[in-house]
Amino acid sequence: MGLQISIRESGDVNILDLQGRSTVDTGESVLLSKYLRELTAAGKRKLLLNLVNLSRIDSSGVSIIVEIYVSIKRRGGELKLLSPRGRVLDVLRVFRLLDVIPSFEDEIEALASFRPRGFFATS
Amino acid sequence: MRLRLWRASGREVSLQRLDGYALNFWSRRRLAFLGGGVTPCGGASSVLSSDPLRTALVVDSGAEINGLLDGVFASENWSIQRAPDNCAALLTVAANSFDLIITGAKNQCRENLEVVHKIRAIRPHARLIILADKFTPGDVLDAMREGAFSYFSGPFEHSALVEMVREAMASPCWDDGIEVLSGTPAWVSLAARCDLGTANRLVQFLRGVKDPTIPEADREAVIAAFREILLNAMEHGGQFDPSHYVEISFIRASRAIALRVKDPGQGFSLDELRHAAINSPTGDVFSHLSVRDEKGLRPGGFGLLLAKKQVDDLIYNEKGNDVLLIKYLNPGASHLA
Repeated sequence: MGLQISIRESGDVNILDLQGRSTVDTGESVLLSKYLRELTAAGKRKLLLNLVNLSRIDSSGVSIIVEIYVSIKRRGGELKLLSPRGRVLDVLRVFRLLDVIPSFEDEIEALASFRPRGFFATS
Repeated sequence: MRLRLWRASGREVSLQRLDGYALNFWSRRRLAFLGGGVTPCGGASSVLSSDPLRTALVVDSGAEINGLLDGVFASENWSIQRAPDNCAALLTVAANSFDLIITGAKNQCRENLEVVHKIRAIRPHARLIILADKFTPGDVLDAMREGAFSYFSGPFEHSALVEMVREAMASPCWDDGIEVLSGTPAWVSLAARCDLGTANRLVQFLRGVKDPTIPEADREAVIAAFREILLNAMEHGGQFDPSHYVEISFIRASRAIALRVKDPGQGFSLDELRHAAINSPTGDVFSHLSVRDEKGLRPGGFGLLLAKKQVDDLIYNEKGNDVLLIKYLNPGASHLA
């Protein structure tokens, strides 16, 4: 297994569950790029990358995350990360990506962060 | 709601479906994986032949590994012939040719190397993957010298094994990809062909060195750094041209690991790489992206910085086509700077 990507929807948020690794070896990173591009081209503006089962990432994987983050932000959208672990977390920290791209440990919390802050009527 | 599931393996990525931007980025590395269209190797083992049915000989490795390999071969419509042991495998190989041979994981590497040596004498172009029950020093060097496609020792990382088997199945040519120029346990020098398949094989060989005196975190860091530098050398120095080779040295000192990668290119000046993250001001790793944007380059340029952060020293020569990575072995220290 290089990289498996499954896509879920929760409201208007598209969640990409990544399993395996995002490296240049046999096309994994380009596969991720393809999916992210397709989603943004289809008008999706809220993307959550679930990294909990991503075991490895290299510079090509980082480049794609950054590329999509920049692209979607320019279109007024949001890209967020969920549960990076181990070597993946190490690599993201090297580039201080977590200072720029919001990252969450809890999926419910991550999904909630996409919702516009509402105004609550007070009695 | 689950919408789609897609597994990335070499053959399932459709380049035609990528837009020009991604194809332009990817095509050089992807074509490099395919051997760049140059097929210097000869013999009857080319998997690009018109013969639709390919056959693998697999020496019994126990139910778990056997089942894993069965699944890989079945998914690509390969037939499998199984041999109960190395002796039976040798007799079978003498009578029939195979597109891929995998030794038994129950044996010590030394036994497998002996049978690989004999198989190579009969079938010089056969692809051979060595599975060994456990790592012993010298295994990897000897496996490379015997011209093995790849080497794994237990405990096996299933995903890596599956990927390498797939790569062996897909690789159009391989057997002149890695040449051992000289080798001692402390210093190995190689020449490696500039294509992605060879890079992957080389990285797997390095992964195969499970030296218990090297902390796992340090080992992973060195492999990751080496991989980034190797791919840079093959892509930018060697243009992923399979007629070009990079020179590589691995040196194991008592308190450090050093890796040297020299590419055949014209070199570059690290200071002038304003479009690379390695030259971004501290604390602003994204500042190079604006330079890349001005130059019409996709966001990227993270490889050198990633490599640098995982070793203690990254030193280029004056020309910029020869780089030395040094990792000091300091148990307990963080592997990422």
